[in-house]
Amino acid sequence: MRKGQRAVAAMIAIGFLISGCAGSGGDFQAQISAAGYGTKREDVIVVMGPSSEPEAGFDPAYGWGAGEHVHEPLIQSTLTVTTPDLKIGYDLATDMEVSEDGLIWTVNIRNDAIFTDGESLTARDVAFTYNTLRDTSSVNDFTMLERAEARDDTTVVFYMTRPYSIWPYTMAVTGIIPEHAYGADYGEHPVGSGRYVLKQWDRGQQIILEANPDYYGESPKMKKVTILFMEEDAAFAAVRSGQADLAYTAVAYSDQAIKGYKLLSFETVDNRGFNLPAVAEDGEIGNDFTQDVNIRRAINLGIDRHRMIENVLNGYGSPAYSVCDKMPWYNEEAKEDGEPQNAVMLLEKAGWMAGTDGIREKDGIRASFTLMYPAGDSVRQALAADTANQLRQIGIEVKTEGVGWDVAYDRAQKEPLMWGWGAHTPMELYNIYHRAPGKIYAEYSPYGNEKVDRYMDEALACGDLEESYALWKKAQWDGTTGTIYKGDIPWIWLVNIEHLYWAREELKVAEQKLHPHGHGWSVVNNVDQWEWE
Amino acid sequence: MERDRGRIWNRRLFLLYMAGFSLLLLAGITFSGAIQADAALITDFSRKNLAPSLRYPFGTDWMGRDMFVRTLAGLSLSIRIGLLTAGVSSVIAFGLGIAAALGRYADGVIGCIIDVVMGIPHMLLLVLISFAMGKGFWGVVAGISLTHWTSLARLLRAEALQIRESQYVKIAGKLGKGPFYIALRHIMPHLLPQLLVGVVLMFPHAILHEAGITFLGFGLPPEQPAIGVILSESMSYLSMGKWWLALFPGLLLVLVVLMFHVIGNAAGSVLDPGQAQL
Repeated sequence: MRKGQRAVAAMIAIGFLISGCAGSGGDFQAQISAAGYGTKREDVIVVMGPSSEPEAGFDPAYGWGAGEHVHEPLIQSTLTVTTPDLKIGYDLATDMEVSEDGLIWTVNIRNDAIFTDGESLTARDVAFTYNTLRDTSSVNDFTMLERAEARDDTTVVFYMTRPYSIWPYTMAVTGIIPEHAYGADYGEHPVGSGRYVLKQWDRGQQIILEANPDYYGESPKMKKVTILFMEEDAAFAAVRSGQADLAYTAVAYSDQAIKGYKLLSFETVDNRGFNLPAVAEDGEIGNDFTQDVNIRRAINLGIDRHRMIENVLNGYGSPAYSVCDKMPWYNEEAKEDGEPQNAVMLLEKAGWMAGTDGIREKDGIRASFTLMYPAGDSVRQALAADTANQLRQIGIEVKTEGVGWDVAYDRAQKEPLMWGWGAHTPMELYNIYHRAPGKIYAEYSPYGNEKVDRYMDEALACGDLEESYALWKKAQWDGTTGTIYKGDIPWIWLVNIEHLYWAREELKVAEQKLHPHGHGWSVVNNVDQWEWE
Repeated sequence: MERDRGRIWNRRLFLLYMAGFSLLLLAGITFSGAIQADAALITDFSRKNLAPSLRYPFGTDWMGRDMFVRTLAGLSLSIRIGLLTAGVSSVIAFGLGIAAALGRYADGVIGCIIDVVMGIPHMLLLVLISFAMGKGFWGVVAGISLTHWTSLARLLRAEALQIRESQYVKIAGKLGKGPFYIALRHIMPHLLPQLLVGVVLMFPHAILHEAGITFLGFGLPPEQPAIGVILSESMSYLSMGKWWLALFPGLLLVLVVLMFHVIGNAAGSVLDPGQAQL
């Protein structure tokens, strides 16, 4: 009897297995044949990591498009867009104007945009969006906005509490929501005027977007975009079994070859680097070793970034010299290639002499620090390990330690931590180097330089965007002081990690702008322009 | 009859030899791993992702760490943690077991404590304690020590209760000896063999749970060459065909656990008269 039961159970199990495989394979076959042979496919299946799924849905107030990982909201329109060279272009806006004192922004918008429920998009919706987000946004800073007002159907006016020259960069990530159809469940049932409409969302599995037939711009070439959420190894398996057209992947997989697929690598400002507390130890903050500016400069000189990219990233990366490499506000003076012999000279000149074990010392302080990295991030772990190996050669001892984010922020006030940054707005410079409002030092690592702060304040107050870029550059280096290696260098930037994807050989992915931090939605920013060959 | 006796002796001798051999091997792993602890941390990107070879019998990982050295260091760490935790748990178990012999009331309280701790899922309690202690070495040690004493305590308590009912203990009571005296002089000596076997058999549990909790990310930090860290890291490399990262460390872990079992069984058959004839 028991034998019989087992046999039945085994048969059922096998049955499930077979039907399971056949099921998913069958779906895929159906999709392929639906697209038809000979005719061009107009749909694409994209795989992203599970953390890319928007937890709160597609509500711009709760992180959709904005926040730490910026991308274009696709379902909604924005007033502006960032161009491939990260300057400002127009989406809904037709032109804009800022008052002399920088406190009033007047934006004219197009009159032919229609929400997918048939209502047309007016300046009132824009004003409603900004006023709502000012009060509820959990991810973006809207404290500089006093109120937004619709002057007429196509003109919206922003009254600011303080000058904020980079306001157009905020506009580029703020999806416009409809006043008449916004409520608590908006995140799950978004109504927008963007290129795509949300067709279906199976939480934890997939999101299906379909082209918006009433879109005011050029109509999308990809009519249907399916986005699946999978872990790295599952994404790799999905590609190997031919179930995805484009899937994110990591450096560790880059030496594999999959028939029918190519490995795409996109440049980014998704940088990795570590902070060096720039003040002496005092209670919960500061570090007696890294407070010496010569040490910080020597560490920067002692690191061979190209070797690090070969070692850790298999070559899929570019050296990072600042938090904003290749952006319009990047100061190229920051560029410097590792020269360990110069580092040694600098250290010896500053009085750091090698002890018996090869580690330098000065006034009883040992040239040693702990470099933390977020536990579970194998790339940052490897970067930390390679940093330790390289600095060891110039006589600085680095211990690495994996930590959780629950303690990492606090501990980074005293000890270096391997961070990841990179955004499409100069505000990131402010967040990292400017003294935090109401505090003595910058938010993430103790540092403060009055002159640097003043340049950034001026940049924000500046009426002209181009002029403000020059001021952001001056904050990095003005010829005498700044945040780069010739100046205070409170952060060491190591590499920009290229974002890697497996793509079907026939898929033509449109040219990408530099991806920001976060290996997710950025890639589909222009999915409407992708094509099949 | 003679032949049977001979066979039993052979079996016991064989067990003892096996146990001795296991003990030697374990000691070897523990010491060599402890000596190599620093070498296990060395990263060398010029030798990353190498398959097993004569030079690197277990291969190397994505940071060029020698997996053989790392595995040895990890197992050594596991064994030392096992030693510490099994020691602490057995002290707890022994204390409670003896205390159960003091009287009906004490026994009721202890039985209750054991039931409560046993009632909470093992791994859950372990994670909670380790997390509350801030993870790391001491978190794991505290977590395992405080969760693994229950079954041994129950065993010792049952034994103690049985002995408490025996004639000589009752006579000792009638002769005017107090409960503490009886527990220490008359009951404790009978529990010692059980305890010893229990401790040895607790080892594999402790080691597996240390690996388990570290695998889940609530145990030892990721830069430690712990076996749980090694196994959880290797998971993501399996689909890339880097089988050696998981296979050898996993096999060695199983081997170590098996060896402790052999030692425990041997100790049982030698020390415990009830088992010796089996």
